[in-house]
Amino acid sequence: MGFMLTYRPLFDLICIYSVLAFSQYVALRAGLFSLATPGFASIGGYAGAILLKDTSLGPVLSGLGAILCGVTAGLILSLPLAKLRGAFQSIATIGFVQIMVSLTLYAQPLTGGPLGFNAIPKLATTSVLVPIVIVLVALLAIINRSGIGRAFDAIRQDYTVAMSLGISVSRYFRYAFALSGAIGALGGCLLAYNTYSIQPDIFGFPMLVIVIAAVILGGRAMVAGPLVGTAFLIILPELIRPLADARLLLQGLLLILVIIYLPQGIVDSLTHRWKLRRAMRPARSEQPERAHGLPSA
Amino acid sequence: MLAQQLLNGVVVGAVYALFSLGLTLVFGMHRILNLAHGAVFMWGAFIGYFAVTIGHWPLWLAFLAAVAGGGLVSVALDLLVFRPLRRHQGDEFGTIVASIGANLILMQLAQQATNAQTLRFPFGTFPVVFYNLLGLRISLQQIVILAAVVVIVVGLLLFLFRTSLGSEARAVAVNEQTAMLLGVNPGKVYFASFLIAGMLAGAAGVILGIAFNTVTYVMGEAVMLQAFVVIVLGGLGSVTGAVLSGILIGMIQTLTTAYISTELSDAVVFGLLFIVLLIRPNGFFSGIHTEYRVA
Repeated sequence: MGFMLTYRPLFDLICIYSVLAFSQYVALRAGLFSLATPGFASIGGYAGAILLKDTSLGPVLSGLGAILCGVTAGLILSLPLAKLRGAFQSIATIGFVQIMVSLTLYAQPLTGGPLGFNAIPKLATTSVLVPIVIVLVALLAIINRSGIGRAFDAIRQDYTVAMSLGISVSRYFRYAFALSGAIGALGGCLLAYNTYSIQPDIFGFPMLVIVIAAVILGGRAMVAGPLVGTAFLIILPELIRPLADARLLLQGLLLILVIIYLPQGIVDSLTHRWKLRRAMRPARSEQPERAHGLPSA
Repeated sequence: MLAQQLLNGVVVGAVYALFSLGLTLVFGMHRILNLAHGAVFMWGAFIGYFAVTIGHWPLWLAFLAAVAGGGLVSVALDLLVFRPLRRHQGDEFGTIVASIGANLILMQLAQQATNAQTLRFPFGTFPVVFYNLLGLRISLQQIVILAAVVVIVVGLLLFLFRTSLGSEARAVAVNEQTAMLLGVNPGKVYFASFLIAGMLAGAAGVILGIAFNTVTYVMGEAVMLQAFVVIVLGGLGSVTGAVLSGILIGMIQTLTTAYISTELSDAVVFGLLFIVLLIRPNGFFSGIHTEYRVA
């Protein structure tokens, strides 16, 4: 029990950042070069906190309101970006993240500016976070198995081929933006409801690095990828205390090494290897059966 | 007053153009969006600062050191990050991710070297002299900046369109495979373009560091945002586009800062990026070579 008490904040953090990583994951899975997740999280965090404290909507409706704001932001971003190629999407979404930081700093009456938005009640405890993450994983797994998921796969691997198969790339990019916006806003809202206080600069470049590193490290195809990546990134500096100071240096190095030497990420590489092995093994044992079965068929 | 602001904007914009040129050149030629370009810029400013304060070097020598240092950092980026990635068949997204990592490392090193402090050049690093030109106040510093930018841009255009390495570089920009078949060594071109991009960023870094008299490890981030708008407005890969839209962005930023507010000037610039992407994503000038649409 003592173990759980000590590590509970860490576990909560893993849950929240997994949600944020899922927002990034949805974008990358669809072949979208979007890096907008911290911007969505900022919108969700501030919308959730303001709705909760300044209106009488209650926590659930405030959370839903935050998600709605995220979807809207995603759809607005998709107006120009769903039709454009990768680099343009990265440029515009990084700009979006920076703009959200300076806008939340500027809108002091609404957001508290540099001092932050404080005294938010702690609603997102572990018992709230875990079911949310489970539902989200299930939802994403269902989407992955649906037609939308297959279209995302095709676009990610080669959008020219996807187009030749009659998939409307810009329509699915729009879906991915909306979904990424919704999940990102949910993550930001959970962060606000968990940490009592939010400041503009927590939704900046460091968050962008963590979520992208989590997805690249874990893997872009399977749902488990971002979970594994997030857990790894958050637990590692805790295990090796001397490294805690050099955490950001280490994250940068990890990002470079993984994208060069393990571009599929941990989970996808392992699954790929496992599938290969399984495909090889039955090939030997099933062959004779099939040979027997052939004449009768 | 308005004319004075416009003049200041042109000077700042000329430096943005210098910075954006490297970014747009590397993207136009190699399809590499180098998000660590802002960190190269910041390192240029640091090298210039330390050459002046610790080395007690004269300013022109410190400037040259910053230019050389920027080039060196940028070439190191290519050799240590982008080249291994190319060897492992990394795609366009891979280069973006790797450059985010490189940016983080370069910024962290600078942060730890300076304890995250804002550094200022000692007073009188650049002689404070003002002239009156048709009723406008123009400083010696601004004249030198404009002259330096003009010389550098002309030099770059001469290199690209009047030397054999320049035409090899343009051949690689059109198609790397075809250029290789024609006997062009792409490694040499990568080296040259990263060196030039880094030198431009280093020059821009030390110039802006002196002009605003602030050198911090986060100074690259703000200028990257301006550069994004500059390269999209000018067309990814276009030299003239980058210069003209750099000056335009400089003027817009100075005007919004003077008449609206500092915090909102970023938002105005980003709004411009959004509108350009919406109505003319290919920019307003033809680039070296860019495909931009997905459908």
